[in-house]
Amino acid sequence: MTEKRSLADVLWIVMLVAGALSVLYPLVWVFYQSLKTNQQFFQNVWSLPETLQWSNYKTAWVKYGIGKSLLNTLYYVGLSLIIGTFLTTLNAYALTRIEFKGRKLIWGIIMLSLFLPGINALIPQFVLMRDLQLTNSLTGLIILDSFGESVFFLLLLGGFMQSLPKELEESAYMDGASIFQVFLRIIAPLATPGIVTVAIFKFLGLYNNFLAPFIYLSDQKKYTIGVAMYQANQLMQYTSDWVTLFAGVLIAMIPSVFMFVFFQRWIMEGATLGGVKG
Amino acid sequence: MNNMKQLTRNAIPEREGWLRSKQTQKWIFLLFAITPAFGGYLLFTLYPNLMSAYYSLLNWNGISDPVFVGFQNYVTLFQDKYVWRALFHNLIYMFFVPAFVILISLLLAYILTNKNYKGTPFYKVIFFFPNVLSSVVVALLWAFIYDGSFGLLNSMLRLVGINIGEYYWLGEIKTALWAIIPPYVWAGVGFYVIIFMNAMVTIPKSLYESAILEGATPMTRLVKITIPLIMPIVRVGALFLVLGSLKGFEHVLILTNGGPAGSTDVIGLYMFNLAFGAEYHNYGYASAVGMFLFIVLVIAKLITDKYITSQTVEY
Repeated sequence: MTEKRSLADVLWIVMLVAGALSVLYPLVWVFYQSLKTNQQFFQNVWSLPETLQWSNYKTAWVKYGIGKSLLNTLYYVGLSLIIGTFLTTLNAYALTRIEFKGRKLIWGIIMLSLFLPGINALIPQFVLMRDLQLTNSLTGLIILDSFGESVFFLLLLGGFMQSLPKELEESAYMDGASIFQVFLRIIAPLATPGIVTVAIFKFLGLYNNFLAPFIYLSDQKKYTIGVAMYQANQLMQYTSDWVTLFAGVLIAMIPSVFMFVFFQRWIMEGATLGGVKG
Repeated sequence: MNNMKQLTRNAIPEREGWLRSKQTQKWIFLLFAITPAFGGYLLFTLYPNLMSAYYSLLNWNGISDPVFVGFQNYVTLFQDKYVWRALFHNLIYMFFVPAFVILISLLLAYILTNKNYKGTPFYKVIFFFPNVLSSVVVALLWAFIYDGSFGLLNSMLRLVGINIGEYYWLGEIKTALWAIIPPYVWAGVGFYVIIFMNAMVTIPKSLYESAILEGATPMTRLVKITIPLIMPIVRVGALFLVLGSLKGFEHVLILTNGGPAGSTDVIGLYMFNLAFGAEYHNYGYASAVGMFLFIVLVIAKLITDKYITSQTVEY
């Protein structure tokens, strides 16, 4: 069923291209500005760089302490991701596959989180973290972000686990396996696609997390990449060192770009799962 | 020594029997599996949420001893013109951000699903890309676009012959509020393009075919078939966007921090700065503002539920 190309078609295609350009062009623009000197940039924002100033990236790396902040980010994201994903998987299995007294109550309490805006909890949470001496500490942030419930992840993993036949577990119990073995050897491997999706979303959420590190980390040496770039931008008011900031922002984007390139299908499918489930 | 060995040997089968008892094992597993996540949720999410109601009744700067003042903070709040100004800004965002995001993503999703132009998967990926970027990166990109002297926007305007001089979009009271909207739209559209495309694909082709036979124009098909059938999904999307633009303040924090002269302040940010800002701290009053936002969110949810038609259409 092909309809003839008409004026409307031209209009539609123009819209698609305009949409794509509005996403791509600012990125490309920032990229080629990041390879100029500040003088070239100030003179003419359209001219292409005369010589490629890759040294801007080195300057940004040193000036904004990106190396250190990436290490901090790796520590924070890495540990929160591993601990958080493990606990979420374990938790999803217990809450979706095992019958026990009080399960409904626990689900009900978890579902409450959907009605809480979370934003008014920032202050008591900060006071709590201060009382526990977990502020200004990456480890404190890891504790805050690893232990908790997420309805989205529970439903996502629960959906995967519920689709596995009950007989799998029953026959394993017949052979004398313990519940821990069943979880580690049977359920976890079979739920891998779900676990990977959860891990990808946790990674994106943690890497992009700005507010918590911004609130809790006061020591510059402990900044994550997001906070470091925020501070770099604040610094701009006094230095107007544009090309270096461009380079810095692009470095901060690299992990997100890699994740998106490698896991694009997972991310886009996972996003829809969340949307449909609400 | 021998006695000891004897003892342990006897103990093993007993212990194993105890562990094998399926019930005990199950409860140990449950304890191990539920406590960390659920305990963390109770401690770091639920408890602070409950406490914020209590905090809102205090006069407390976070350091000295808190003083219980009853509903005094709420009285102050209703007389605080900054709260109402921030709420007004929130209402503007709450209307325009969801409206733009939904219109643009519906349009793009419609073109991508029904027109089968070359490069559809490519467009999908490109549109989605800003969704994986952090709010800092998105905000800084837009700060580059809006800069007065060297920004992309002014340079482009100059290129097409409109010279507005060194106009700082985010630094002028007239435009700063509106300039915050495009970054939110830019970062949000791709997600809804995917959601709406998936919803549109499930509409049976036969509906469109019979409509074409009856001479329906593409526009009629869009308005009479596509939109009514994906309305439930649009509704959910609208709700998420409305609540998100009421709660969200990260972009504003990074782009303007509420300035110039409070012209972009939103409730979340007002609360944030009362509690963690550079100037004085007032945890009690900030919590009252937070509770106020909570109430606004509940009202917004009820209104959105009611006025965006919830009846489902079937053919």
